[in-house]
Amino acid sequence: MAETQFAESQTIRVRVNGQEYEREVPVRRLLADFIRHDLGLTATHLGCEHGVCGACTIIMDGESVRSCLLFAVQADGAELQTLEGLADGDDMHPLQQAFWDNHALQCGFCTSGFLMSAVDLLDKHPRPSEEEIRHGLSGNLCRCTGYANIIKAVQAVAEQSQS
Amino acid sequence: MSREGTGKMLGAQVRRVEDPRVLLGKTQYVDDLVLPDMLAVAFVRSPYAHAKITKIDVQAALTKPGVACVLTGKDILETIKPLRVEFDTQKVPFHKSCNWHVLTPDKVRFVGDLVAAVVATDRYTAEDAAELVEVDYEPFEAVADMESALLADAPLVHEEWGDNVMERLEAQIGEVGKAFQEADCVVSERFVTGRHMASPLETRGCVAQFDVATEALTVWSSTQVPHTLRASLATLLDLAEHRIRVISPDVGGGFGLKAHPFPEEVVVTYLARALRKPVKWIEDRREHLSASLQAKHQIVTAEMALKSDGSVLGLKARFLSDAGGYSSYPWSSAFEPKHAAGTITGPYKIPAFSFETCTVATNKASIGVYRGVGIPIAALTMERLLDMGAQKLDLDPAEIRLRNMIRKEEHPYTTLMGAEIESGSHQASLQQALDILGYDDFRAEQQKARQNGRYLGVGIGSYVEGTAHNSAVFDSFGVKIGGYESATLRIDESGKVTVFVGTHSHGQGHHTVYAQLIADTLGVALEDVAVVQGDTQATPRGWGTWASRSAVTGGGAVTSAAQKLRDKLLRIAARLTEVPADDLELVQGAVQRKTGAVRLLSIPELAHRIIAQPTSLPPDEEPGLDVTVAYEPPPITHSNATHVAALEVDIETGQVQLLRYIVVEDCGTIINPIIVNGQIQGGVAQGIGSALYEQAVYDDAGQFLTGTLMDYLIPTAADVPQVEIGHIETPSPYTLHGIKGMGEGGAIAPPAAIANAVADALSPFGVRVNEVPLTPERVLSMLDRAQTNPGTE
Repeated sequence: MAETQFAESQTIRVRVNGQEYEREVPVRRLLADFIRHDLGLTATHLGCEHGVCGACTIIMDGESVRSCLLFAVQADGAELQTLEGLADGDDMHPLQQAFWDNHALQCGFCTSGFLMSAVDLLDKHPRPSEEEIRHGLSGNLCRCTGYANIIKAVQAVAEQSQS
Repeated sequence: MSREGTGKMLGAQVRRVEDPRVLLGKTQYVDDLVLPDMLAVAFVRSPYAHAKITKIDVQAALTKPGVACVLTGKDILETIKPLRVEFDTQKVPFHKSCNWHVLTPDKVRFVGDLVAAVVATDRYTAEDAAELVEVDYEPFEAVADMESALLADAPLVHEEWGDNVMERLEAQIGEVGKAFQEADCVVSERFVTGRHMASPLETRGCVAQFDVATEALTVWSSTQVPHTLRASLATLLDLAEHRIRVISPDVGGGFGLKAHPFPEEVVVTYLARALRKPVKWIEDRREHLSASLQAKHQIVTAEMALKSDGSVLGLKARFLSDAGGYSSYPWSSAFEPKHAAGTITGPYKIPAFSFETCTVATNKASIGVYRGVGIPIAALTMERLLDMGAQKLDLDPAEIRLRNMIRKEEHPYTTLMGAEIESGSHQASLQQALDILGYDDFRAEQQKARQNGRYLGVGIGSYVEGTAHNSAVFDSFGVKIGGYESATLRIDESGKVTVFVGTHSHGQGHHTVYAQLIADTLGVALEDVAVVQGDTQATPRGWGTWASRSAVTGGGAVTSAAQKLRDKLLRIAARLTEVPADDLELVQGAVQRKTGAVRLLSIPELAHRIIAQPTSLPPDEEPGLDVTVAYEPPPITHSNATHVAALEVDIETGQVQLLRYIVVEDCGTIINPIIVNGQIQGGVAQGIGSALYEQAVYDDAGQFLTGTLMDYLIPTAADVPQVEIGHIETPSPYTLHGIKGMGEGGAIAPPAAIANAVADALSPFGVRVNEVPLTPERVLSMLDRAQTNPGTE
């Protein structure tokens, strides 16, 4: 059986949470797997690998993306942010603090994706209405909380930044 | 919120102590674990619902670079026992057991059934190689639904049974015939619930490692029941249990699904031992949806006899339940209808009840327990029948419920099924829920809206949630598990506390609530309590977390253990200080004389003497501050609640829009209101999914059609309203602090309340609302049926 030959691997350079990485990766390696297993940044989780649940959401060049729907090679040259880069050491980002204060997490598996989606949402809409928050986070699934406290947490941060 | 060490943490709104590490990304779920030389497993699963395996060719897979081994059912037929649920026939006489081979040797029984395991250097290679395993099948006709499973010429899922009936049970309690003869009104309906799934965000997965030097196995698994899993692995692999250590690390949700040991866990453990290398399996979402466990799929045909004043005289019900291809351990896939029958009377006084439960095997994924187990369809049946009766008798739905509910002063009330409902607030919870809604105002708004061609509806769902069943209850079910829970409590030389528990928190906030209970008993600060769970080597034998049991059973165990150490501390302090023990208390990290509130000795000082200077102890006191307690709860602890849904139905699109959702819940003494409210909101979201969106779908050939989360629809942030929550606290007279379990409750009543509200909204059309989920398509077809057959619906 004749198979078309592609390069099996490629060297990529990415900047993740401010740190430069240069790695050789198989061309079919998912960005999510690259982040989790090659870079050891396991705060990004995989819930469906179909691009539906949003657990793997990260920020790539200022846009929230699903890292399960991208190959690592597509991130070559990009600037990425994951949950590990959100806090300043152990000083929480306001969204992390608001999630804690509002009991916006239970099992925690979806939390990383929600935080990164919320970062992107507030970046683009600093004063979202409740409707806009619900819509903005509707690409992330949570099976534990029923969302109400996640919405409250995002509202709380939006209100803080206005005052 | 800072009431640390003052003895008043019970009921305090404490933020969860477990959250910062989650928020900072420091958790470790099972897929985050990396071990040297670790191999990955991919499973070959059946594409057919029902077929004989005629040949498996593993050669092409084996020769692929990176592949370590391929295992098929025949390879392990002699070495790995099948999962098999067996009951004491004295207790469950009409149950047929089946073998659930961890890799099927001969016949597949559902799409996703396990055929082979492929082990390779990484998951990508393992999945590629799994596709190279060539399996020849001889397809059989599938048993694709539970009613056709009972036909005389139905294909057999398990040939040795002779038919497809897994379990049948019949009972009559009270004079049912007389009730129906004397009735002024009889209502009847056939109710169907969808095949729902827990579908936690983290799928199943495990890692197993074999230590060649000690011949010990360590298994990390995303499980709610580490000790039960260990016992199952030992039995099925014929290994000494003490050579196996199960660790349940951070777990991304379970909801009952992960309370079962699974074939995949057995295979992975076997492989690690056979290959002498660590082996990892992480389930993908399609596997999870098609081949983990599904839940709650039943058809209930029920009839209710009522007097003209609305009082219920009797109830008849037949629960037909679709078990799928095998039987899940330990409750069996026949538990769902039994639990529905056992709980259907809910908060109501029903003088006569007859029922039949019938569980059949079909060619689908097996049924397991999922939040609420049987009670959601029991509540749907009971609550819909009450509304239908009210409509016939021209009574208000609230009125008919108030008339039939157990009154506060009638507690402890023994139900027809023999359960003692120790305390409750059924009428008050209903009344409060209606008050929060503004029931009369909503009725007026509904009238006005109808004149404008808009269809609003309100629906009630009341229930009783039995929680924290004790060992005697499981024994009466014939299920060989314990209902007790264990805790080991240790105070170290610095006066800090560590508690080792047999329960498993995967989102429920146990670290916080156990620390609250211990802080109160021992007079220490919340942050001075560490909670260790999910490691069979560290924790005493416990039964894990499911059935809303942990607050009562785990809470009972940690409180009892803390009380024992408190008594020891005070006893020894009394001898050292020469103050009577009953004049001493533990407050803010010290032994204090009650009279005059004088601090006598710090807990660290006292702990140091008891542990490190035992010669200074009274001779009858043992050194050390360790205690292990097994706490057996009362038979069943009952919470109660009323849910009220207010919604609008778009009769053009069939879309249901929730306007408001109200829950008034009574779970006895509340340990932490933040956590209780979070459980309610999250449970309601799952219940809304069951009521409106979620169903695992198979076609007539048993092919699975909902293999992604775009097909199996979990509610999103756009679908779930902020639940308006009210609380009543009626303590249990039997549990420590009067605590009752409540974790499942939120998910129980939404199908009932929402179905009633949809029926109410569409009452001008006389629509029969008897099936969930109420998808737009189904609502439209219900409307169509009503309009083509007016008067018959």
